[in-house]
Amino acid sequence: MSAVSRWLAERIPVQPGQLRELTNEPVPNHLRRWWFCLGGTPAYLFVVQIVTGILLAFYYEASPEHAYESVRYITEEAAYGWFLRGIHKWAATLMIASMILHQMRVFFTGAYRKPRELNWMVGMCLLVTVLLTGFTGYSLVFEQLSYWGATVGANITDTVPFVGAHMKRLLLAGDAYNEHTLSRFFLLHAAVLPVTIGLLLFLHITLIRLQGVTEFHFEDEGPSEPKFFNFFPDHFLTELAIGLVLMVLLSVLATALPVTMGPKADPLTTPEIIKPEWFFYVAFRWLKLFSATVAVLSMGFILFVMFLWPFIDAWIRRRWPGSEFSVWVGTAGALTIIGLTVWEAAVAH
Amino acid sequence: MSLQFKKLLITVLAAAFLCSLLFVQYEEVTRRRAEAGLAEAPVAVPASSEQCVACHSDNTPGIVEQWKGSTHARSGIGCYECHEADRKDADSFDHYGKIIATVVTPMDCARCHTVEAGEFERSHHSKAGNILASLDNYLAEVVEGSRVPFQPHGPTPGFAVNEVNGLASAATGCQQCHGSKVALLSSDGGRITLDDLQPDENGQPTNLDALAKVVKDSQGKPRYHPATWPNTGIGRINLDGSRGSCSACHSRHDFSPRRARQPENCGKCHLGPDHPQKEIYEESKHGIAYRDLREHMNLEADTWILGEDYTQAPTCATCHMSGNVNNGGRITHDPGERISWTNRPPVSLRMDTDINHVVVKETDPAKRAKLVADTAEAKRARMQNVCAVCHTSDYIGSFYKQYDDFIVLYNEKFAKPGQELMKRLKGAGLISKPNFDEEIEWTWFYLWHHEGRRARHGASMMAPDYAQWHGMYEVAERFYLELIPQAREILEHAPEGKREEAAEISAWLEGLLARPEHQWIQSGEGAR
Amino acid sequence: MKSKEPPASRPDDAPPRRSFLGQTGGAAMALALATSYGTCGAYGLRFLYPARPPRRIWQFVAVADRLQPGESMPFRAPDGQRITVARQGEAGTVEDFIALGSTCPHLGCQVHWQPDRQRFFCPCHNGVFDPRGKGIGGPPGEAGQSLPRFPLKLEGGLLYIEVPAEGLLV
Repeated sequence: MSAVSRWLAERIPVQPGQLRELTNEPVPNHLRRWWFCLGGTPAYLFVVQIVTGILLAFYYEASPEHAYESVRYITEEAAYGWFLRGIHKWAATLMIASMILHQMRVFFTGAYRKPRELNWMVGMCLLVTVLLTGFTGYSLVFEQLSYWGATVGANITDTVPFVGAHMKRLLLAGDAYNEHTLSRFFLLHAAVLPVTIGLLLFLHITLIRLQGVTEFHFEDEGPSEPKFFNFFPDHFLTELAIGLVLMVLLSVLATALPVTMGPKADPLTTPEIIKPEWFFYVAFRWLKLFSATVAVLSMGFILFVMFLWPFIDAWIRRRWPGSEFSVWVGTAGALTIIGLTVWEAAVAH
Repeated sequence: MSLQFKKLLITVLAAAFLCSLLFVQYEEVTRRRAEAGLAEAPVAVPASSEQCVACHSDNTPGIVEQWKGSTHARSGIGCYECHEADRKDADSFDHYGKIIATVVTPMDCARCHTVEAGEFERSHHSKAGNILASLDNYLAEVVEGSRVPFQPHGPTPGFAVNEVNGLASAATGCQQCHGSKVALLSSDGGRITLDDLQPDENGQPTNLDALAKVVKDSQGKPRYHPATWPNTGIGRINLDGSRGSCSACHSRHDFSPRRARQPENCGKCHLGPDHPQKEIYEESKHGIAYRDLREHMNLEADTWILGEDYTQAPTCATCHMSGNVNNGGRITHDPGERISWTNRPPVSLRMDTDINHVVVKETDPAKRAKLVADTAEAKRARMQNVCAVCHTSDYIGSFYKQYDDFIVLYNEKFAKPGQELMKRLKGAGLISKPNFDEEIEWTWFYLWHHEGRRARHGASMMAPDYAQWHGMYEVAERFYLELIPQAREILEHAPEGKREEAAEISAWLEGLLARPEHQWIQSGEGAR
Repeated sequence: MKSKEPPASRPDDAPPRRSFLGQTGGAAMALALATSYGTCGAYGLRFLYPARPPRRIWQFVAVADRLQPGESMPFRAPDGQRITVARQGEAGTVEDFIALGSTCPHLGCQVHWQPDRQRFFCPCHNGVFDPRGKGIGGPPGEAGQSLPRFPLKLEGGLLYIEVPAEGLLV
């Protein structure tokens, strides 16, 4: 052992064996199928978001007078600002997309079942927090669309019976969008929600480590194949490759479909067509289908059912053993979501 | 998949990532380059005007914003550079530690724009204030108004009127184009003008007694007489003795050359029944092309040289003031430099001007040649330089032939006889000295001042309808159906003791009408 | 997707040839990763670095005739810098004029003109500059430092100076 490593070992008392054990979690063989690596994608993109977000925050000013100008400065003047903002925006899109895919994979493979019910719930919390982060981030640009998106979002909160009005006041720091609203959104977006995501993510991964990844066996696999391979370096390299694919994808998207500046927010004129970010299309269309209160309450109910699904599913399976009910519910849900999103995307109003 | 293969895959992917980053770099460089080309020069508030901008951004944000868009702002010329005044100036005051004046005169602008101010000073524009003692002004001050304040006819509910200001029509009408005689408010309510102040060549008053009577507000700011300011009339007579107002065309506070290039700017004054240049222009081929193509006319251009920066259509400025490729891009601020006829007086005159830029009226050819410093032909040649950017010399020559013939026709058939008739009637005492107290005086005024000018201006700028129906047709009608019958009426009813003179004028008049150009009305040709 | 290789759980058992290849592959991979992510990181750092040196603009100083040879006038740039504009010739060209910043290159104190001694003087450490702004005494003289000079131009009899465009409006 060299002098340097001895010096280090004395000060950081970790045995190489321990380190190996920590990193070399045995990974089930099915993870050689890349389809099963979707869970790592949002985590990787989260890191991208933290890094680009911190960089953007160096120039962003969260006040109605300066917000738009500072975003314009980032986009048009600062070196590589357009690129970093583009990455931040596209990574958000990919993050949400991959989370949804990850969740669908978990759902259809039944990976949320005992003993992993709690982790499903943590995952649901992550989904909601990430969506909220997306919503607040979109508002920060202070364009017409993002401004009116925030206003509409806040007014949706208002329709929740009893507590809605208070939630709206809490969100907007007043009865309407005012000079304190933007800094509130900024702190939620850049501090409160990311820390929450970080904590939930830690919990999510800890639970995976404690319970182990769900094992699957596929029919085309021969019985002689080993059931596990090492996380390090094998699976680590897979994740590294996925990370690089994501980086290429992000920089291509940021260059080919660069972020733009819409017209500056004007509290006096509502644009002809207002649209939220694509991941809220479902909710937006839902709101147009029902009265505000019904739509909000039904969405809340659906989220609640999703949250408790592992227990509902368990109850159904106890009641009707061998039932494929969850697959049917999942298919119907996924088709509804896709249908509503496409509908909202296709029409102007 | 082997570890080895994964490593290779990662290497390839990392290379792809690097390639995409290089593409990002390429985009960044392209963008920077495009930006450097497009970037607007930044505007900074000059230190001299920092304080002004600090307060006036709140008090009068409009003018600060306008200034920010001006060429002045881009060159670091702030509020103080123009409003700067000397403590000795009649209207100067201490404004938070800086001596300034509200009214900026051509003398102030001349600190930098020397050449422009010089051209403007010798132009007819700067002398527009001379109207204050003219026939038109008599109309506004006496006929339309009253030179002495008078008692109201009856009460105005809800508004206290103690005395009627008879000069209101002149102040808001005539003087907003022609320019007021700027006055400070005197403690007795009267006006203190340059006549009282007697400014020296630096524009500073020499009569300090007059200065002592100026009313000042609580901050020591002298008050202007409200009948004379606000005013941006082009011939404004300023307290410092200078004539005119540059902001008449280069409106405050962006002083935009772009605006001065557009006919609408001239149309503030050059329109209406007596000099409808704006409407004439709009009717002409030139105006039609302008309306169609103004977006392509590069009105923002720095130099705006005809034939270089644009060719689509001429505006008023193009022909009368702006530079063109044939004259080396030389702009003039004396529109008279390119005009060969003056169509302002009853009888059009050739624009042969003397050294003081006044039209020479001498008839003796030899004496005339001595007096003339700049001939009408030289002026016409300057105008033809403009024409020649688009038209051939034959075309231009023939246009001027049409124009000259028209002016001569008007002069000889109606203007000179009419003028002679009026002169004879007045000379014989058959009409009284005061103007506009007899019908025939109105008739004659309409004939030359309204209809005659419409016709001549219409011919000069290619508006057929103004030359004929709004012009010569009405001149003829006025001449044959009003002027001549009214003259005959006066002559027939000449009082005892004037009969002889009347008979003499009658004989002259019948002789005139017997001339071939008028004979048709005698011979009954008109009845056909 | 499926690999027929045995799991690489014990790389120590691998034959030396593969180990060598593995090392080269690993090095190439590490290099490629470092280069690509490093470039990306450099972009981020460049983003944080001030966008560009402050732009410079031409500002009006005075009508040239108003400044007689031997006279000087103070000029304050939009960023607050004090500049002395002096006329030292009568050729009627821009070379007659000189614009010197009043910030001492030594430690940033304000210098002032001493007309009786025809020199700029910095009171902080007795720095002395000649009328052309060259250090001739005190620390700036020893270090061969000069007062900062600003470009001037003469256009239509008007004197303009090029100064940093700070305190921007637009």
